[in-house]
Amino acid sequence: MKSRTTWRWNAVTGEFERGDPKPPQGTGEISAIDAFSNKTILLLGATGFVGKVVLAMILDRFAELKHLVVQVRRKKALSGEQRFYSEVLQSPPLRSIINRIGENVVREKVQVVEGDLDQALCGISADQIDRLKGAVDVVVNLAGVVDFDPPVNESVDPNVYGTLHLIELVRLLGARLVHVSTAYVAGKRDGRVSEDTPIDGYFPRKGERDGETFSVADELKWYTQFVKETRETRATNPRPVRERLRDGGMKRAEQWGWTNTYTYTKSMGEQLIAQTRGLSYAIVRPAIVESSLRFPFPGWNEGFTTSAPLVLMGGEGVKGWPVRKDGPLEIIPVDMVAAGILIVTAAVLCGKNKQVYHLASADENPIMLPRLVAFLGMNARYKHKRKKSGNKLANVWKAYVETQVITVESLQARRARLHRGLDVIHAALTLGKTLFGARRADRYLKSLRDTRRQIRAQEITLDKFLPFMFHNSFVFETRNIREATRMLTNEDLKRINWEPKSIDWADYWVNVHTKGIEKWIRPVFAASRSRD
Amino acid sequence: MNKAAFYDLDGTLLSCNLVNMHAYYARNDRSLVKSVYQFTKVLLSVPVLFGLDLYSRSLFNVFSFRAYRGMHRDRLVGLSDDLFEVTLKPSIFAEAKRLVDTTRNLGYRNVLVTGTLDFQVRPIALHFEFDEIICNRLEFKNHVATGRVLPPLLAENEKARSIRDYAAQEGIDLRESCAFSDSSADVPMLSAVGHPVATNPTRRLRRIAVENNWPILELRETGSNLPPFLSAAKAL
Repeated sequence: MKSRTTWRWNAVTGEFERGDPKPPQGTGEISAIDAFSNKTILLLGATGFVGKVVLAMILDRFAELKHLVVQVRRKKALSGEQRFYSEVLQSPPLRSIINRIGENVVREKVQVVEGDLDQALCGISADQIDRLKGAVDVVVNLAGVVDFDPPVNESVDPNVYGTLHLIELVRLLGARLVHVSTAYVAGKRDGRVSEDTPIDGYFPRKGERDGETFSVADELKWYTQFVKETRETRATNPRPVRERLRDGGMKRAEQWGWTNTYTYTKSMGEQLIAQTRGLSYAIVRPAIVESSLRFPFPGWNEGFTTSAPLVLMGGEGVKGWPVRKDGPLEIIPVDMVAAGILIVTAAVLCGKNKQVYHLASADENPIMLPRLVAFLGMNARYKHKRKKSGNKLANVWKAYVETQVITVESLQARRARLHRGLDVIHAALTLGKTLFGARRADRYLKSLRDTRRQIRAQEITLDKFLPFMFHNSFVFETRNIREATRMLTNEDLKRINWEPKSIDWADYWVNVHTKGIEKWIRPVFAASRSRD
Repeated sequence: MNKAAFYDLDGTLLSCNLVNMHAYYARNDRSLVKSVYQFTKVLLSVPVLFGLDLYSRSLFNVFSFRAYRGMHRDRLVGLSDDLFEVTLKPSIFAEAKRLVDTTRNLGYRNVLVTGTLDFQVRPIALHFEFDEIICNRLEFKNHVATGRVLPPLLAENEKARSIRDYAAQEGIDLRESCAFSDSSADVPMLSAVGHPVATNPTRRLRRIAVENNWPILELRETGSNLPPFLSAAKAL
């Protein structure tokens, strides 16, 4: 469906403008087409959300590509190669592209190697390394664990030790490195975050207390000691080891000023790369990665650590949202991240790269949080108006009451009120049970328990997102990626472009993102919840 | 040479109009008080609009779009799916979808040419799977509607001009193309193509259609007859 008009929407000013957009012009200092047709890329983490889109984009846009090596981890009985052809290529973002270009073409161009970041040299076998030595020009690493607060070892192993294995591999291959991290390694900070802040020795609280320094080596010493102690005291301490490891990681991260274990370990990974002498590298830091805007099709999503839980909660009718009135949410569609990674890879291959690239939207085209809160309410209206199941009164409430921007204090007050109310209902039902017997009351008690569980789950999700929505307000500067895009050739720019300015947030959020989440995430989410 | 089928929307494929759609947004303002206030305003403006429509369709459009002044675009876009479900979908004529499918199957490119606004048209166009849309757009300043429509305002002669432009750009033979409309305001558009069809015509259009020997089509109830040039579709 096309719309014919002489007007086009300028998302930044919020006005329609006349005339066709000027075709993008580049200086041609970097040629992505040349880079991808003559050089070999080794892709790590192609099975992930971003990884699949990067793979799809490179296969779709660059027919000149000669050779690509993809590392895939073995999964139980499924070998890496089997997994690549049955799982990755058959996934929704790749299926239609593979059908168009043909699987035999992929077999010709793409070599699959089995490996695992947890092992030395990323688990790639010795004879395969011999074959790849000197043949691989750049390693693009998209692998990592994106859970915000797992037990600390489950985050340190892939994100810190995994990076050590990666560096080892890259040096042995004599290649360059593009490492994907996260913009939130900045930690608990406010305002604009520069790309020029030195990486090694960084911690968010730097400068707050004199004489405090951060070093990865010391952290790893603490880590080994902590994990050992926690495991040794298994017998004497009643709390489960996993839970203690989880808390320990979060506490340590917060002590240095990071928001969670994930950003803390990711930052350590970056620092290890920055410490390595003679390594030619670029670190790509995307903000919150969201549903695709256009490629491979609008609304593709499979990320669980994105804003999906929030959108689902909005759809379920949560009304009070603790967000900053003046803050943007740093989200960026996955296809734009993929294009950004390919641009950076081309820059690295041409030797014209900077060290750090933020991939985020607010620098050019911010979406303010109150606008998003309003969208969440409108989605709830749409969903609950015609809902047949559930309590009728609750559905009317969920459909017609508008969402509100509230403060954390009033959120706490609301929660306390709600729980007091539920306590009263619970007491009344227990009394009813003794008076009228279990048969009548149990039904209501059960539904009360379900409601409570649901509310608790929502509270936990909301608390996880508070650092991004309320406590801190970031704008990640994106000067470097814009500069790299300007250096591409005109032919490249027709295929890959960095253009957050073109995002019409209303259309994206309502017609693309929300629908993508409802279609791709809600079924999986519901299935995982019923398993618990 | 390609051929196209040009469709009007209000009254042709569904029985909704600009006032109904605005009334929806008025009912769904940000709070109950605001909704009541806005809805009262709509009710009071109905007689004026009714009179204006008899006099000139363009003036009617201009006046009814004025009512959007001050509304945020996020809200207009955000509620458009609900608007479709509540107001538009139930009012789609029984045979409308079949007609649109028929012209597509016969190799016509389906183009929706309507005075309705872009965000309202979107779900309708998706429902009917239109290939292209030509529609009106509101003017916005910093995401807030000013109450004006971006020129050119699509109505009457402007519709005919826009389909001629479209045909010239896309290499479409207008003599082989068809157009469907219910209103005498669209006579210029109907006259521009080789196969005009008066669809659910108003009394005035019915008279014109009879004078010009145009086929008349009723989509409001099932089992109506297709005009002769589309009769090949019966075999489908």
